[in-house]
Amino acid sequence: MTASALPSRLSAAPLLLAVTACGAVALWLALDPSLGRLLLEWLPYLARGFAMNILISVLAMALGTLAGIVLGAMELAPVRLVRAAAIAYVQVFRNAPHLVLIFATTYIFPFEIVAFGHYVPFPDWVKAVIGLAIPASAHTAEITRGALQSIPTPQWDAAKGLGFSRIEALRFIILPQCLRRALPPWMNLYASICMGTALASLVGVHELLHAATDASTAVSRTDFTVLTYVTVLFAFFLFCYPVSRLTQRLERRLAR
Amino acid sequence: MQDAIRGFIALAGQVGLNFDFLASPFELRMWLDGMGTTLVLVALTLPLSLAGGVVLAAALTSGRPWLAGPARAYVELTRNTPTLVQLMFTVLVVNMLISQALGGAQNNPFGAYFWLVAVVSLHVAAFHAEALRGGIEAVPAATVEAARGLGFSRLEVLRVVELPLALRTALPAIVNNLVNLVKLTTIGYAVAVNEITYASLMIWTQRDNVVELMIVLLLFFSLINLAVARIGAFVERRLAVPGFGQ
Repeated sequence: MTASALPSRLSAAPLLLAVTACGAVALWLALDPSLGRLLLEWLPYLARGFAMNILISVLAMALGTLAGIVLGAMELAPVRLVRAAAIAYVQVFRNAPHLVLIFATTYIFPFEIVAFGHYVPFPDWVKAVIGLAIPASAHTAEITRGALQSIPTPQWDAAKGLGFSRIEALRFIILPQCLRRALPPWMNLYASICMGTALASLVGVHELLHAATDASTAVSRTDFTVLTYVTVLFAFFLFCYPVSRLTQRLERRLAR
Repeated sequence: MQDAIRGFIALAGQVGLNFDFLASPFELRMWLDGMGTTLVLVALTLPLSLAGGVVLAAALTSGRPWLAGPARAYVELTRNTPTLVQLMFTVLVVNMLISQALGGAQNNPFGAYFWLVAVVSLHVAAFHAEALRGGIEAVPAATVEAARGLGFSRLEVLRVVELPLALRTALPAIVNNLVNLVKLTTIGYAVAVNEITYASLMIWTQRDNVVELMIVLLLFFSLINLAVARIGAFVERRLAVPGFGQ
């Protein structure tokens, strides 16, 4: 039994599951055409909800990555105070539940901001983006720190010898090399943040889970409720599973 | 005790933090109950997730397609869908179907609390299983063959040879999963289980002291997770076999 042969052979199982589930749903819809019509009617509504999940996850990840790279570099800064502040931030927010952080941003931030005498609304979904960007930044900081530490120290000396400042060496020599090592855990983090977007439904953001609740309440048919939630599960699965497969492939390539 | 609480409220008030709710026995009780519920949830789900992880890992590495296939499908489905969606699915769909089958919600023995414990432990079990599977596959084939040659059955090899070694390699990942498990208990809020997040929200909607309770929440989870990480590191040191791993 070789380690590489087993997972590739077994990876057929989820595919089989997906095919079986789709087949079962298709059969179910064929038996009751009114159910299929209802689903078709509500599908655009659900899709708009899912688009919100993807929007939140992409923005939260972009914000979190930018902040996390800076924080990760700060964790290794030569100044002790900078180091301590970054480490404390990472420790607290890596250990905090995503839901708690979404609540924090939702309830602490005002619902509108006064800018140049104008009231600019501060929508809930933007607060959810910030709420998820905080843990994303803490995790990215750890990933960055780990990757930075994996680069042999003589490289820093060599960069110094070539006349690079510490920040320049970090930006042009060390960070680009970190990318390869940091990519798989970063993609794992993206999948985790993407699944975290479902939590935004609890603070009233109109995303997929929220849309599903709306749909099942509006139609109020048992079979439709079952079908709607199965659809939600599969929407997330179809989006996150390819990401996780790709991550595994990259990890295996890196391990070789 | 009362004096100490009053003293603390006054002290917090001086630095601009509103902890007035501590003076209300009802709210104080609810808040402490919330902390207790979170701790009980962690104490319940943690061993359950480990047990589920071992069973799933055994199924994944059994080499029998009828056992490994469904286990693999379950692991992938669980790992790639949000825990909150799984919880809502079980509470709103599975629980409803059970109620219907039993002829009414009053006959249904399962409540939100049951589903929360089940979903969180089985979700984290899938992550444990992946970590353990990696560890089991890393056990040298010669070691397994030697054990088989000594007359150990497949299950005995798993129990006395593969799992003990796999546990050691998988421990860092397992501790990571357990930190995640502690954080996942907060989704109990969605099904009105009175854990600490739910209790805090009930208080701050009345008192408008979000920042104060948020500080306590962050400290509370940091402390639990610090304890989990410390215990994990301790177990790792205790179990370390000289010359194995690293």
